[in-house]
Amino acid sequence: MMNKRGFTILELLISILLISIVLLLLLRVMMSLETINHDTSYASDDEIRRTEIIKNVEESFLDSSLNGLRIDSLNDKTVLTFLMDEEQTLEIYQDHLVFQEEVYSLESKNATYSSCAEYKYFDLDEDYYFITITIPVLIDGVNTTSRDDLIFSYLGLKNEFTSYPDDTTC
Amino acid sequence: MKRGFALLETIIVITFVTVSLMLLYGTFTSLIEKKEENILYDDVSNIYQMYYLKEYLSLYGLEEVNTKKHVELTCDDFSISTCSSFMEQMSLEHLYLVSYGLKDYDGMSTSLRRYLSSLSNKEDYDYWLVGEFYIEDAYHYASIGVMHDE
Repeated sequence: MMNKRGFTILELLISILLISIVLLLLLRVMMSLETINHDTSYASDDEIRRTEIIKNVEESFLDSSLNGLRIDSLNDKTVLTFLMDEEQTLEIYQDHLVFQEEVYSLESKNATYSSCAEYKYFDLDEDYYFITITIPVLIDGVNTTSRDDLIFSYLGLKNEFTSYPDDTTC
Repeated sequence: MKRGFALLETIIVITFVTVSLMLLYGTFTSLIEKKEENILYDDVSNIYQMYYLKEYLSLYGLEEVNTKKHVELTCDDFSISTCSSFMEQMSLEHLYLVSYGLKDYDGMSTSLRRYLSSLSNKEDYDYWLVGEFYIEDAYHYASIGVMHDE
């Protein structure tokens, strides 16, 4: 006997229900992907280099006891001078940094370093202070997230030579 | 024969498609979790902040705090007048002292549990000093090992 029947309403409802569940799960995945989308614009090479720069600068703070800071804005670069046992500079150009004669270039085509380094001094007590220095990373000229920024911090013991400028914000 | 699909056939096809999509979902989810771990866990700048914080709190008796499991440290545990604003300066929302290699995560938030289970516990410390940073609407975590008699 020829069977000409198509879907019944029940079959359709069950099918739609199952497909909806699957699509909802996929939607959740897509939304999660959206939240981590920014990383595609900041190359993984730059993430590794960011870690390397922060580590090298922090290690030099710890090895040579940071005791002060100077920030100079020049034509094409901003220079952070770290006053330590021996002065060291971190030169910030749009597409690269220079620290201890080593050049750290940005790999991402649309990423640049901001010339405006943010710096904050925090007085902890009469003996100790804490500072943070932030070099913003711009994607297409905008600082979309602080996760890419270079953030250096330091806990210091005050002495007669301690010398820090006023806070700077961008 | 011109008959359409039977319910059984439709369900079999949908089950097959669902299983395939679920497998894809599982793969994507684990990739996303890994990526989130890279972004939210142990950022190098947060690790150095935790290091300095540990050094500073050591002056105020951090190593004397004793716990078998985990304890949330608050500004009341240390006689530091600038404690709250210092934590705010670092975007540090919560601070925990967690017994090294702890597997019992009772009473902890899901995000903290996930972070602790990602730690390697290969070194020989007594505690983890774990910082929960709230940055750009997301919890970031970083930790540093603490020796009790350090």
